[in-house]
Amino acid sequence: MNYKLLHIFRNTPFGRETFLQSLYFCKTINAFPLAYIPRSDKFLLYFSNDAVQVDLDHSYLTSPDTAKSNAEKLFEEMGTKPMFYEPKNFTASSLPDISTNFDYLCCPRSVSDMSSKIGLGHIGPRVRRIIKHATFPVLITSPVFKPWKSISVFFGGSKNALTALTLGLKIALASGLPLDIYTLLEKQDEAYYRELIEKEGLDEPVTQLSRQWFFYEKAHFDTMLYDVPHNSLIVLGAYGHGIIKDLLLGSKMEQIQSTVMNNLLITGPHCSMSLQ
Amino acid sequence: MQYSVFELSKHLGVVPDTIERWVRQGKLPVSRTGKNYQFRISELKKWAATHNICLNLSDEDPAEKKRESIISLSSAVKNGGIYFDIIGDDVTSVLRACIKKMSIIHDDFKKDLFDRLVEREQALSTGIGNGIAIPHPREQLSYLNDPAVSIFFLADPVDYNALDHQPVSVLFFILCPALKMHLQLLSALSFCLRDAQFKRFLNARPDPHQLIEKIEILQTANPI
Amino acid sequence: MSTLKKGYSILYQWLFHRDDRLLLIIAGSVAGICSGLAAVALRLSLQTVLEWLHPFRHYGWAFVLPAVGALLSSLYLEKIAREGAGHGVPEVIYAVSRYGGLLRFRSSYSRLISSFLTIGSGGSAGPEAPVVMSGSAIGSNIAKFLSLNERQRITLVGCGTAGAIASIFNAPIAGLVFAIEVILGEWKFVNIIPIAIAAVAGAEVSQAIIPEQVIFNHQTFQVGLLDILPSLCLALVTALVSVVFTKTLQQSGKIARTSSFPLWVRAVFGGCIVGTIGIFMPVVLGEGYHFIQEMISGTFSLGVFITFVAVFAKIFATAMTLGWGGSGGIFAPCLVIGSLTGIVFHKFLLILLPSVGCAREGAYALLGMTGIISGVMQAPLTGIFLIVEITGGYEMTLPLIVVSSISSTMSHYIEPASFYFKDLIERGQFLRPGTDARILSDLNISELIETRYTKVSGNMVFREFIEIIKTSRQNFFPVIDDRTNEYKGMVKISAIRKYVLDPGMYDMIFLSQIMDTEVMTVSLENDLQEVLEIMDINGMETIPVVEHDRFVGMISKTRILDLYRRELIVQTSAH
Repeated sequence: MNYKLLHIFRNTPFGRETFLQSLYFCKTINAFPLAYIPRSDKFLLYFSNDAVQVDLDHSYLTSPDTAKSNAEKLFEEMGTKPMFYEPKNFTASSLPDISTNFDYLCCPRSVSDMSSKIGLGHIGPRVRRIIKHATFPVLITSPVFKPWKSISVFFGGSKNALTALTLGLKIALASGLPLDIYTLLEKQDEAYYRELIEKEGLDEPVTQLSRQWFFYEKAHFDTMLYDVPHNSLIVLGAYGHGIIKDLLLGSKMEQIQSTVMNNLLITGPHCSMSLQ
Repeated sequence: MQYSVFELSKHLGVVPDTIERWVRQGKLPVSRTGKNYQFRISELKKWAATHNICLNLSDEDPAEKKRESIISLSSAVKNGGIYFDIIGDDVTSVLRACIKKMSIIHDDFKKDLFDRLVEREQALSTGIGNGIAIPHPREQLSYLNDPAVSIFFLADPVDYNALDHQPVSVLFFILCPALKMHLQLLSALSFCLRDAQFKRFLNARPDPHQLIEKIEILQTANPI
Repeated sequence: MSTLKKGYSILYQWLFHRDDRLLLIIAGSVAGICSGLAAVALRLSLQTVLEWLHPFRHYGWAFVLPAVGALLSSLYLEKIAREGAGHGVPEVIYAVSRYGGLLRFRSSYSRLISSFLTIGSGGSAGPEAPVVMSGSAIGSNIAKFLSLNERQRITLVGCGTAGAIASIFNAPIAGLVFAIEVILGEWKFVNIIPIAIAAVAGAEVSQAIIPEQVIFNHQTFQVGLLDILPSLCLALVTALVSVVFTKTLQQSGKIARTSSFPLWVRAVFGGCIVGTIGIFMPVVLGEGYHFIQEMISGTFSLGVFITFVAVFAKIFATAMTLGWGGSGGIFAPCLVIGSLTGIVFHKFLLILLPSVGCAREGAYALLGMTGIISGVMQAPLTGIFLIVEITGGYEMTLPLIVVSSISSTMSHYIEPASFYFKDLIERGQFLRPGTDARILSDLNISELIETRYTKVSGNMVFREFIEIIKTSRQNFFPVIDDRTNEYKGMVKISAIRKYVLDPGMYDMIFLSQIMDTEVMTVSLENDLQEVLEIMDINGMETIPVVEHDRFVGMISKTRILDLYRRELIVQTSAH
């Protein structure tokens, strides 16, 4: 399979870190990075039931003449063939439609706000909206390029978490890196979770691919977050169950993204994954 | 009864992507349970009828159906049988004697088979050389259930008008209910006969069990 | 509790799922009412601001008013609402044909505000397109909220459009016809009922809130057979004027785009020119409903020459407003230009043949409007039904049909694409349901591709390959690199036949020596139109799909025909 990752290139030092992160991700899991160099400060993503307009701030349009060569340099640095995405359709002359036919999308923590906020772990409203509607996982990078050497899946037992677990297994399979699973025991006990993955037919790949499965008591949530290796890619599902949680990303998710600085790979409610 | 996207895509001969697009565009009757789509057969039938679209509801894949069953030469030989010491001094008498011994053909049809074989020999001799002939009728035989290859060893070599003018001592009858099998068997047989070792083996008039064993070895080396 | 829930779900299934008509009618009327409210709100606020600004019009500095309006409007659209430019209707058509009517939520209000700023300050533009845009965005967002599928969403977009037009003109049938003729482009009865109901709902909203401000009061005209010949001539005139109008609009937009001024300078420049014209000729300012009313009722008092100049002044002012940064539509300007043309024509007629007993001036104003609408938008039915509903009678039907059919045919002859569609046609995005372009754009490469192909390595000896083709049904074998898995070329059985029959070659060559590396390939990114073009140019029956140097599969014409036919059936069925 040819997996593709779309990266919206920002020709700034901060954008460079994000882009290196994308390239590293693709290299590790054997995917193809496609860079999109924006020519206008907004674009549209048409999902099956929503059109999401992403407004970029001006830093995305910084020195457009050097953008392409800078991106190419970074591509070469990582030993990847440079590939660029060109939008084909335009809703209006300055409003290109970006295809949603990708397997991953790379987002900084915030698309349109100033990068100063990012240090605080803030995830911008548009990134949330993209996650909410995306049919693909979204890679949210750490502020500085940091290679990761393991994969950590946060598994809470919901439908989204199962998707995230499948995705984590897939990435472990593609990259050959060790996988750890972290579960916070809220209402159920360990056996419940083990049964759950057995029911979904994931028990075999989990035993084959994962290194360890950690269980934490509810009160030790912060310990769990600290125990996650600093150089690992965190895979998790956004959105808990329940109407109120749906409004945000899910309370756990909020806490995770504001506490951990790792690279996050988030599956939204519209993602679907299979191990094939 | 209900179908999933994947099952329906098989029945309609399209990829699941197309089914998903049609559902998104509101062109297929669908019921949703959570993230999964389900299609009711009754609704689908109605839909297919009003749209004049072929809905192949049988479980077989139409592409798979065409792939005919492969028959092996050894099983055909088992069907047909191996006979020794046939007596005759020309083509017709040899053929008559062979057919008479053949147990697979019912007596009512022996005359018909004989006529057909003689007609085939008159058109062009089936003696392929090296003392071997492959008599066979031109059309398929409706009175046969399974393909059969019968092997006859003659008591004395007979002049068979063979291509290399050598007298023939072994006959391979290929009798098939369908022409496709005929080609398969002929190809398998000619592969065996090209093998020098096999030819020598034949000249030694082997025991039937050994012969079938040998054929099995050769056909696994050359699968059709 | 659980029985209640079960009962509810059964009721829901029975009412809405099995047959979505009821759902569509309810949702459609909600969309109609909402867009009707949006239209009324824009009308009322325009009325207020025009009255409020009226005393200032007599001052010399009044010419900057449209400039300020256009400036605010363009800044609002670009910086605050961050909409792409464009006057709306093509965007709706584009969304309907390509994305099943998906429109952004912000579109449901942004154009209302920006066009309010433009028109309220005196810019020459129409409030219909913004209202259509917001109505259809409302419909689309209702559908999104109910998670409906594309077909249902498109119907709701049509409902919003119909409600908006019906409400602004108090003309439900014109709303219905406009939605179907211009926006949806297909007459399906599943669409028509909800849209008709939405149109009526929209019209009712406007009547309930502003009954005294219905734009066009019902008027009756005595139109006889004598008027047929003059209306023939009028049709030719309106066809000419509409072509001039369309061309001027396009030219002005083009010039503005090529100029290097920033957006706000352009808007100020255009606004100042409109304002200056407006000082001498107030008829060009605003949406002009007031003047249209005067012209229909025959109280319009300008002389022949001034009216004649006014036609072109209005054309120019509209082009300056819309092309240089103002926001709004062309519907109302069309009506003003049409009625001005009609009146000029009538006045000439009276001068040339004073004794002919033809109809009143107002009747010709109406005929002129039909002529321009049919000519510019190439929507003859909308033109006819709008005027029929305005006059409230069928006396004028015959000349209306004459004018609208001749005008639309003539302008179509000179300018094949209507103003709304031109942009889309140029971009190749005019995808009406059931057309070839639509089917080709709907069918994805990934749906057509056949992936079950045995791949062979370039280092394979020919003899080995012979063994493979013995048991394979494939006619094409993609050759890939052993190490990198990259696609290298294609072995076509029909092209290598003479080597296959020559056993002497079997051990002499490798596949990389006999493969064809010149075969054209396409990628998954290409659309079907491009793929077919490449196949036709090179006379290919099948074409390999290669993505990032990896072989993905093959596309064959047989498969395309198979799916094309099915797609055509599915798309055009009345369902």
